[in-house]
This record gives sequence, C-alpha cells and structure tokens, in this order.
Amino acid sequence: MSDYTQMWSDLGLDLAGHDALLSVLGGAYQDIFLSQKNRPEGMKYFDFVMSEVHGLRIKELMDAKAQGRIVVGSYCVFVPEELILAVDGVSVGLCAGAEFNFEGAEEVVPRNLCPLIKSAFGFKRGLVCPYLEASDIVVGENTCDGKKKSYEVLGPMVKDLYIIDLPQMKSDSGRMLLKEEYRKFMTKLEEKSGRKITAEGLTKGIETVNAKRRAVKRLAELRKADPAPISGLDALLVNQVFFYDDPTRFTASVNALCDELEERVKKGEGVFPKGTPRVLMSGCPMAVPNWKVPFIIETSGAVIVGEESCVGERGTRWLTGDEGGGVAEMLEAITERYFKIDCAVFTPNPSRVDHVRDMFGRYNAGGVIHYSLQFCHPYIVESGPVEANLEGSGIPVLRLETDYSQEDSGQIKTRVEAFLERIQEK
Amino acid sequence: MRAGGLDIGSRTVKFVVIEDGRTILARKALTSHDPLEAARTLIAGIQYDVIVATGYGRHLLKEHLDCPVISEIKAFALGAKAIHAPCRAILDIGGQDTKAICLNESGEMAKFEMNDKCAAGTGRFLEIMANALNYTLEEFSKAALSAEHAEKINSMCTVFAESEVISLTARGASRSDVALGIHKAIVSRSTALLKRIAPSGEVFFAGGVALNECIRALIAEDLNRPVVVPPDPQGVGAFGAALHAQKVGAATGGNNETVLR
Amino acid sequence: MSRTVEPLINDEYTGGPPTKRVLARLQEKRKAGMKIAGVYCGYAPTELILAMGIAPATLCAFSNATIEAAETVLPANLCPLIKSSYGFIITDTCPFYGLSDAVIGETTCDGKKKMFELITDLKPTWIMDLPQVPDQEEAVTNWAAMIRKLQRFLEATFGAHATDDAIEAAIRDINRRNAMMREVFEFPAGRPTVVGWQEIYNLTFLAQDSSGKEMESILAEALRKLEQRRDNGYAYRPADTPRVMVTGCPVGGDAEKVFRIIEEAGGVIVALDACSGFKPYMTDTAEGTGDPVRALAERYLKIPCSCMTPNARRLTEMTRLIEKFRPDAVIDIVLQACHSFNIESHKVGEHVGRYHGLPFLKIVTDFSLSDVEQVRTRVEALLESC
Repeated sequence: MSDYTQMWSDLGLDLAGHDALLSVLGGAYQDIFLSQKNRPEGMKYFDFVMSEVHGLRIKELMDAKAQGRIVVGSYCVFVPEELILAVDGVSVGLCAGAEFNFEGAEEVVPRNLCPLIKSAFGFKRGLVCPYLEASDIVVGENTCDGKKKSYEVLGPMVKDLYIIDLPQMKSDSGRMLLKEEYRKFMTKLEEKSGRKITAEGLTKGIETVNAKRRAVKRLAELRKADPAPISGLDALLVNQVFFYDDPTRFTASVNALCDELEERVKKGEGVFPKGTPRVLMSGCPMAVPNWKVPFIIETSGAVIVGEESCVGERGTRWLTGDEGGGVAEMLEAITERYFKIDCAVFTPNPSRVDHVRDMFGRYNAGGVIHYSLQFCHPYIVESGPVEANLEGSGIPVLRLETDYSQEDSGQIKTRVEAFLERIQEK
Repeated sequence: MRAGGLDIGSRTVKFVVIEDGRTILARKALTSHDPLEAARTLIAGIQYDVIVATGYGRHLLKEHLDCPVISEIKAFALGAKAIHAPCRAILDIGGQDTKAICLNESGEMAKFEMNDKCAAGTGRFLEIMANALNYTLEEFSKAALSAEHAEKINSMCTVFAESEVISLTARGASRSDVALGIHKAIVSRSTALLKRIAPSGEVFFAGGVALNECIRALIAEDLNRPVVVPPDPQGVGAFGAALHAQKVGAATGGNNETVLR
Repeated sequence: MSRTVEPLINDEYTGGPPTKRVLARLQEKRKAGMKIAGVYCGYAPTELILAMGIAPATLCAFSNATIEAAETVLPANLCPLIKSSYGFIITDTCPFYGLSDAVIGETTCDGKKKMFELITDLKPTWIMDLPQVPDQEEAVTNWAAMIRKLQRFLEATFGAHATDDAIEAAIRDINRRNAMMREVFEFPAGRPTVVGWQEIYNLTFLAQDSSGKEMESILAEALRKLEQRRDNGYAYRPADTPRVMVTGCPVGGDAEKVFRIIEEAGGVIVALDACSGFKPYMTDTAEGTGDPVRALAERYLKIPCSCMTPNARRLTEMTRLIEKFRPDAVIDIVLQACHSFNIESHKVGEHVGRYHGLPFLKIVTDFSLSDVEQVRTRVEALLESC
C-alpha cells in the first residue's frame, strides 16, 4: 500500500488513531479471512480491496471530488443508490462495525445503545473514518428509534447531514411518503452536485445497480450446493464490499468469482466437507468490519449458506424495474422496489418470516441463527414470533443477541456448538 | 469398554467413568485457578478407553487433551435423559451459570436458554450470600427452610444484593428470613428462564445448586410440576459426556486412549 | 397530608391509587351501555373518541408485578411500561383491557410498535401511523388522514358516528377541560406550592380520559380548595424547599418511587413535564376552523414526545415551564431501554444547564425496587447542589 499519510491528513483524520484502527483491522483480517482453507481465487480481489480500504478507494473518492462529483455516505439500504448515481455521484456505505472509541461515543449518546450506532459515533469523534470525512452529504434515515434520535446528535458534527424520513407501515400512505421523500432527496442531490437528474442518467443508474444485484444474487444461488463452494465469511465480505466499491468493477469481480464457483460446484469442490451443517443467518445487518459471529460459526464446524439481512439478501433480492419511461416513472419504480424491504422497523412485517422460510428451503439449510445487535428493539422483539413461527414449521432456530466486543465469544460459541449438535442429530 | 466423561466447570471439575452404561467411578474437585492441573490430577491413573470433555473449560484443554468435545448443554441433555427417561425439561443451576433445556419427544435437545452473562442467581451467588450472613452453605439452606417468612431481596446483582442483605440484617431483619428471601430470588429467576422454553412437563433439576434442599423445595412449589433431582446432581454433565464417549468409542472401535499431557 | 387541608378530590377513592377511581367510572359507563376503547398514548385523539360516544380507557400500565409474565415472551431488556402492559394482557389481569371493546395504538416507539403486533389478534385493534417529523408540511395532512381512518374503524367496529359538528363540540369541551387544568397548574407554580405531586397526578390521571363536562365540577371544586389553601397561607412544603421539575417518560404506579425519593430527599415537585402529567393539557385545538379533524391533527403533532424528530419543541416547552414554575433543579426520568428519551436527554441536560443554569440529573430506572438506594443517592447529591 502506498503512503497515504498526506491524503489522510488532508481529510483531517487523527493519524495515530487511524493507524491503530488499521493495524487492528489488518490483524483481524489475517486471523479471520486469510487463515481460511481452500478459498476461491476470486477472493483475492476482495482481499486487495480490503487491504486498500482506506487507501486506494479513498484516493478514487478524492479524484472523483476533484472532478466535481459528490460523495454521498449513508448507513442504510433504504437510501437509493440509483439516485446518487444519476447525479454522477459516488455512493459509499459508512462502516459502523467496530468497537472503536466507544468512550468518545458514550459522551454524546447513551451507553445502552446499539453498537452499530456507537461505532458510527466512535469513528466520527475519533476522526478515523476517511469515508465519513470525505462525504459531501451524509444521509441518515428515520428507521429505528436509536438511529432517529442519534442523527439529531450527529447533525452538528458533519458537514451536511440529510435525513430521509421513512414510513413505519406498508400502507398506501406509507408508499406515498417514501416516494415524496425520494423526490426531495433527488432535489437535494441535484442542488449539491449541480447536476440535473435526467431519464438517461436514471436509466444508467438503475442499470448499474441492478447489475450489481444480479451478480450477488448469482453468488447466492451458487451457495445452494453441498459442499458450499465459498464460505459464509467470504460471501459476507462480498456483500459488505457491495456498499462502497466502484459498482462496475465490483460487478465484474463478483461475476468472475461466480464463474470460478460454478466450476467448483461442477466438480463437487467446496471449502468445507460435504455434509457440513448448513446455517442460515437472519436478522440485523453486519457492517464491516463486524465478522465476529460468522467467524465463530464457521470455526465451530458449520458453513453459513445465506444471510437474510440488509447486508445480504434482504438488501439485494429485489431489482428495480427497468421498463424505462421518464423520470417520474423511474422514481415510481425505485419507490416500488425499496418499499418491499422488510426491515423490522415496519409494523406489521409478515413477509420477513416467509422469506426466511423460503431461504431455508432454497439453500438446504439445517438451522436458522437469528442475529440481533444488543439493544435493537425491532429485531429482538420480532425475533420471538419469528422463532415461534419457524420452530412451529420444524425449522430449528437459535437466537443470539450480542455486540461487537470479544467478551462473550465463549458464551456465543457454547450456544452455537449446542445448536449445531441439535441440528446434526436430525 | 470404559468410557470417561470430563466436565470442566467454572467452579468444579467432574470426572465419570462408565462401563456397559454403569457408572464405575465418579470424582470431583475444585477447578481453582488452574483447570488444566485440576483436570490432570482428577483423571491421573484412571483407566479409560475413550474420553470426551465438556464444560466451560473444554476448549482450554484442547492442546493437552486431544479428545472429542461436546457442549455442556448436550452433555446435560444426554445425562438427564439416561437417568430419568420421562423428563422433558432440564434445569441446571451451576456455579456460575444457569441452563434450561427442553427435550423433544425423542429425548433430543430441542430448545435451550442460558444465563451466563452474570453470576446472579447461581451457586456463586449462594456462596457469597451465605458468607454475608455468616453461614456455611449447609446452614444457609437449613436456615432458609426454617424461616416462616421471607425478606424480599430486590437486587439481582450479586454485588448489590450483598449490600442489601447487610443493610437488612443491620435493620434487625432475621437472618433466616433473609436467607429464605435469597433462596426465593434465585428460584424465581431460574424458573423464569425455564418457563420461557418449557412451560410444562416434568422437570429434571441438576447442577451443584440442586444439592440445596431449600432450593429444591422452592423450585417444586414455584413450578407446580413434578421435579426430579438425581442422586449426584453435579455429575450429570460428566455422566452425559461419558455416555457420548461410549457412543464414540463404539463407533470407532474403542481403545483410542488419550493422554492428558 | 395535613388534617387541616381537605384533599382536592374527596371521595371514597381518596388516599388510594388513582386507577381505582378511574376504573369505577369506567365500569359505570360500561353499565350505561357505552363502548370503551383502550388507548395507549397521548396521541390518541380523545376528542374524536368522545364525540363518537365512546369512552377512552388508558391501558399503559405501571405495575412491576406483571413484568415477569411478560418476560416469558418479550425480552427483559425492554421498557417496563411496555412489559407491564403486555404482562397485564397475557395474564388477563388488566381491568381496563378487560373492559375495552377495541384497542387503539400508535407507531410511537419501536418497543410499542412491535409489542402491538403480539396483541392485535386478541381484540379489534387499530394502529395509527404517526408521523415522525411533525415540522414537515405533509405531517399534519397525514395525521389528519389517520384520524379519519380511526373514525372509520370506530364506525365499522361500533356502529358509532360523529359529525364534524360533534367533533367541533368535543374540541371546545376538551379545550375547556385543558384550560381548567392549566388553572390548577398555576398553583404548583406558586412559591411555596400549596399542592404536592400526588394530588396533581390524581387529577391528571382522571382528566386524561374524561370530558370537560365530566371534569367541570371536580375541577371547580379543586380550584376552590386550592385558592383557599393559598389564602390561608398553607404551604405543602416550606418555601425554601428545593423545587424540582421532572420531565421525560410517563411516570405512574410503581415508577412513583422516584417522586417519593425526591420528597424524602427534601425536595418538592412543582412541575410534571410528561404525558402522565401536564403535557396533554398544555395545548389547545383551534376552534371554528371548519376542519376540526385537521385542527386536531395540528394540535396533537405539537406534543413534544421524544419519538418525534428533531423535537425542538421539547426544549422550547421546557424553557416555558422553567420560566413559569421556577424549579431549582430538573430531573429527567428515562425508563430503562427507552432509546428515544435516553438519547434526547443529552440535549435536554445541555439546554437546562446552558440556558437556565440549573442542575440536571438523568435517572434511568424501571418499576422494581432494586435501584431505590442508588436513585436516592443521586437525588440527594443533586439537591445538595441546589
């Protein structure tokens, strides 16, 4: 990796803190990813991306800004990438997956709060995230209580915080609200970028994002095989990189990886032996670099074959309708697409458990591990009925609630092992 | 074939050897600060053909004892089912954690819940409270049984409950009434855990805390269901591990004696 | 309570929990054939419900006793109010829920939202989609539409009806009620206050589901007695007692332990800035607008609950109350696991300190007695700094 010190310094990063973060990240990556056996060659691209996560990619963002393009950072899959691309902007998902500078975070938000939110504040107050510092707009959204109120605190800390309001019910008025919010967001993007959103621009945006989605859906399909040709950890990494890599390059790399995986499937080659217990994960998203629970699962003798999560199939399963038309029609198509996402902040949220059941069958899973972040009320309360519903149909479920710390790794491992013992007995 | 089960708990290490399904040896010792040494001493000189480890320390021993491991949940389920076939719900209150296990019709582990985030309501809690009231553990249980009325304990946290106990006795509350209050607090916390996953059915109650007569009585009263306590409640995990070892041994043809280095 | 001072409400329920009085009145309404709608929150449009001849009944529960039952289904790490309410329902021990023919909820906080999903099948239930950004243009229009939808639900469920004129009349009636309640609140604003939190809470709890007409004589009587106390030079506590304003989450039942601790520590509560206290009575609905439902929507969206964002009104209201009630300290009571009030507390504390120079304390608590001493220590330290 080149010397990016000047670039980081120009962005206003705390160099010492940033170095500390990078070295922890590097160490974790080595222990978790590079120690895996029989990884597909195609993962080398993603290893490279991760090794340059604060380097080359940031340079690309800075170059884009120098060309007059805007960088738009966001925290949630409800923020339409298509619209950002339509103003020739760069869309980056802001990481919030590490327990870093929680002391700094806890000075402004309560301690008893979702670690994802605290991580976002930890990074901001510690000045260690170049994506955050490079963002021309930071987009927040009124999803869960924690985020909704935390953005009020984040606002004064960033250059330009823009909040998208979201509906709480999947009703006609909810759909109308979402569309109106997206329309306002378009205006904001136009104002900030100085570019007008045209039908042509939107068409291209939709095409680009759909291509990305098709690629990861293709990857998901290939995990149906037994033995699984790729580990859950690696697939998760691909789903995480989805949020901030250059879309076209990402799509090509995922397709190349899929080509290789297809060969593996033909030959019956996998990363774990055939018959390894297959687990489906469901619940809260795992933001990079949160790899804790998948690591425990895949070092306890199981393979993760799918994720019903926003960093996973819930976020990528739908394509935006590409029938074309004018800007108005495409906005409608975009609204329609995003409105389908079944995050637990919606009430009621019946399609989610159906989706989990469907994935369980499609990926030939043996059990579902429901993952919630500590203090996440929507997912934790919803996990009760979800578990009861799935168990009622004979699907074994383990509910986990955890944060980013390593404190409870032993306890998590015990529960995972016991669960795997249970599903293997079937 | 002699099958050994080693349960390395946070407070005690248990070792059971079975032959043809019958227990021929059962030992326990304090884990102390050196689980490896405690385990080594416990199994020293004992003959066994295959051994399985379970408990909190099972992974700690990985480099020194290369044997199959199972979770303490599975071990308890196996042990409980073998000792008392009709049981469908298991409650294990140990030294530092509490587990509730629900078995399906075939006796396999279905759901489980653990409370190991803190030691409130466990054996450790009992020890500290007994000490705060100047009782031995046996005296503590007897005092609680003898009390007519319980002093309500509000804190669940071991540390804060200790302060609460001291302030109660300072205000003149009777020690046995406080003792009963402590026992009741543990019971309501543990049964709450059990009720979440096994709202009905016969309960198999084991773990070190099941040695406490007062707890046993209160559990039965609270649940209003048949409660069965085995003769050696602390050894159920090791027994279950030994049963699993027997199965493993039979599958692999026995005689893969492992040495604790 | 001093023997020389007559209680503001002097009936057979005086001295007991305020729920008993309210329950008795509800039972009478049931006997008279009225339909009852359970409500959870200050956003439920009382005026509409009353105009349709339906009696609202508050279901929010403040008892620690039912929480254990709730925790067999809901996570332990959840607001005690939600757990208590749910616990009452699944143990079938809530008389208000038992009497309710229908239940009205709102998408306020995540916890409530997801809990409602567990009870919608038990009784006819209607969840109103509450806007989260009240300052936006569309918010009033959207909330007005939701109120109309509620109206249609109540029509369909009960065959009840209300013309816009009836709603207008209810608006005037409730405005009258609120005006009288605000007259009552003038008294704790005095120094020394002639009334304690318990009597105020008795009135706020009774009034929240009552019409102006029902409250008229009770409030007139209470006001007469309050004036008398003031004229007689009565002081609920000595004039130099540190005055405390409590704000934050709704407080009642077992949560009143905090109020008791404040008084035991030598303070006197002069303002209850919560939905269980003053909040429902502080704003009036515009009368004679020709669009009573829209007027209601506008009024209700002014309630500064922390589920709203950015909720600047919480601070402007707080300033108004501080200037009126002149507290010496502010205590923000946040129920455990309530993210909205907990996160907002930070800016409340800063505001109270920076603009009013007052000592501020946030207390995060539940309905159990396990933290009583810890709360006491903090409150005592706060009052020492007054």
